[in-house]
Amino acid sequence: MNPAPVLEVRDLSIKFGDFTAVDNISFSVNRGEIFGFLGANGAGKTTTIRMLCGLLEPTSGSALVGGLGFEDGGKGIKKIVGYMSQKFTLYNDLTVGENLDFAAGLRKLEPAYAKKRRKELFELIGFARPLSTMVASLPGGVKQELALAAAMLHDPEIVFLDEPTSGVAPSSRARFWSLIRRITGLGKTVIVTTHYMDEAEQCGRIALMRTGRLIALDSPAELKRTAFPGPMAEIDFKGGDAAAFISGLAKAAGLLELSPHGMRWHAAFRDKAAMDAALSALPRSASAGLIQPSLEDVFIRLIEGAER
Amino acid sequence: MNGFNIHRAYSIARKEVMHILRDPFTLALALGLPVMLVTFFGFAIDYEVKNIKLAVSDRDNGPASRRLKEIFSSSGYFHLVESDPGAGPVALVDSGRAAAALYIEPGFSKKIKGGGSVEAQFVLDGSDNSKAGAIMGYLPGIQRSALSKLAGTQVREPFSVETRFLYNPELNSRWFTVPGLAAIIIGLLAILLTAMTVAREWENGSMELLLSTPVRPLEIMAGKLAPYGALVLAGVFFVYLLSRLVFGVPFAGSHLLYLAACLLFVTAALSQGLLISVVTRQQQIAMQFGMITGLLPSMLLSGFIFPVESMPRFFQYLTMLLPPRWFMAAARGITLKGADLGELAVPFLALGLLSAGMLTLALIKFKTDLE
Repeated sequence: MNPAPVLEVRDLSIKFGDFTAVDNISFSVNRGEIFGFLGANGAGKTTTIRMLCGLLEPTSGSALVGGLGFEDGGKGIKKIVGYMSQKFTLYNDLTVGENLDFAAGLRKLEPAYAKKRRKELFELIGFARPLSTMVASLPGGVKQELALAAAMLHDPEIVFLDEPTSGVAPSSRARFWSLIRRITGLGKTVIVTTHYMDEAEQCGRIALMRTGRLIALDSPAELKRTAFPGPMAEIDFKGGDAAAFISGLAKAAGLLELSPHGMRWHAAFRDKAAMDAALSALPRSASAGLIQPSLEDVFIRLIEGAER
Repeated sequence: MNGFNIHRAYSIARKEVMHILRDPFTLALALGLPVMLVTFFGFAIDYEVKNIKLAVSDRDNGPASRRLKEIFSSSGYFHLVESDPGAGPVALVDSGRAAAALYIEPGFSKKIKGGGSVEAQFVLDGSDNSKAGAIMGYLPGIQRSALSKLAGTQVREPFSVETRFLYNPELNSRWFTVPGLAAIIIGLLAILLTAMTVAREWENGSMELLLSTPVRPLEIMAGKLAPYGALVLAGVFFVYLLSRLVFGVPFAGSHLLYLAACLLFVTAALSQGLLISVVTRQQQIAMQFGMITGLLPSMLLSGFIFPVESMPRFFQYLTMLLPPRWFMAAARGITLKGADLGELAVPFLALGLLSAGMLTLALIKFKTDLE
């Protein structure tokens, strides 16, 4: 893989009046990467993506997208990126062919080239229905894949996907992510925002955002290692009265994090000795097992750390 | 406007045509509604007042009073109703069974025979302004005819005013209302259709997707306006056929000029719709805005019903901002008077300026919103 950065953001801020939507963030993305933005609604993910697509200009700082800046108001950037928004995918009252022709027309693609690209992309996403199919009659997952094809018709270097799988069935989500991997396999760069932790796990690197700031940026494995240097245990009180033990556990020496996960609790410790000491105080009815921290644990720890 | 690309604008227009074709409701609305409304209102709105119920109280009952009553009834405007001898004619007006009353005093015939001065009292229901106004207009003619017939001699007036109506000799009010109605309905339709289509694009989020491509705001606007412009012009054509064939409205002027006027007016209305949609961004609000700004001013302030000249000075200036006012003047000028381009320069220029102004405002608002 060529590690040349295809996207470089330095000290970037975006303000709407007095409101700072994106607050002084810096990062770079390499060619062929799947780069994920994770964060709550309003954390600044969508604003960052809209800026990188050339829809918004930065208030301060710099952003180079495929080597291009905002000197021309984002026009150059728009030509080399593809964008799939979370709100809208394809026109329901038009056919598949009409939607793709429209996308090609907006980008002034030669009809022959557009046809060739359409064929390639249909193969990539595995779409075999006739062009005259009405979009309204397609299942949500297929519609999403077609929208991605429409966003890639002009063969962009970088594809931005803003919560591409919201409102799509879980099986279709898995299909969509394997499609994303195939796209980066072709040397394209994919930048994606998501709410789903399992999707975030599949990104090469994750940028965690909170109130416009970038609070962590690394690969999922590395994020876990930094957030939880010691072991993590999952404790199940099996319906017993947990409250008394929890308050005791919370005060245990060497405890990094204690959080409820459904009926169970996740407890992270500085090292193995601290864990063993704390777990020995638990009632006999409770069971505890060593687990790998999930990204959700990381998310909770980092967000709470930022709030503290 | 550097970088305007006709291909991209065409792509937008083609997509819009697909939307229209897939939505028979819009199509029916655009083509059917103007024809339907012009038919309804064309028949319903009639300024001429006929068959006015006139309550008569004849206390004289002589040959002269009978003559006078005959003059009223033979004018074609009045329908005589005898009042109860006890109650008097005004009671009939009070109860709404008559719009006017005629009171002839006892000794009317005798006095006329003696060559004296006589009076007949005419009472009018003033609660309906336009009706009263029309009736007032008929009175001088009746009085003249009564003078000559009752006094038996041609009355010599110091001078007489002869009135001849140009362009619409019979003052057929349909000739006057139908071209105006067409303006109002077509204007409203153009405003509504565009306001809805652009607002829909904002509402469902597709506008952002459009803007993530190299397409320019001006191309989006041009592509959006063109198909609806064509659709509304088709509506204009049907209304034209209707007013010529059904209402027999004469067409004194140049069809080419009329087409140019329609084109200008439709552009102005489409621009207004675009401005509304850019400001509101929601279909519901855009529709209400379109209804209010498209219907009320054009009905009340365009000169369709109330002449602009009789409005207070402030409103006269205000109406200059309304495209229907200028189109109303141009359309009536062309259809009835056969006005030429020189006479139409002011309305044409005004329509062009208003369109350009609203388009620019819409474009500026559109562009600033993106940042």
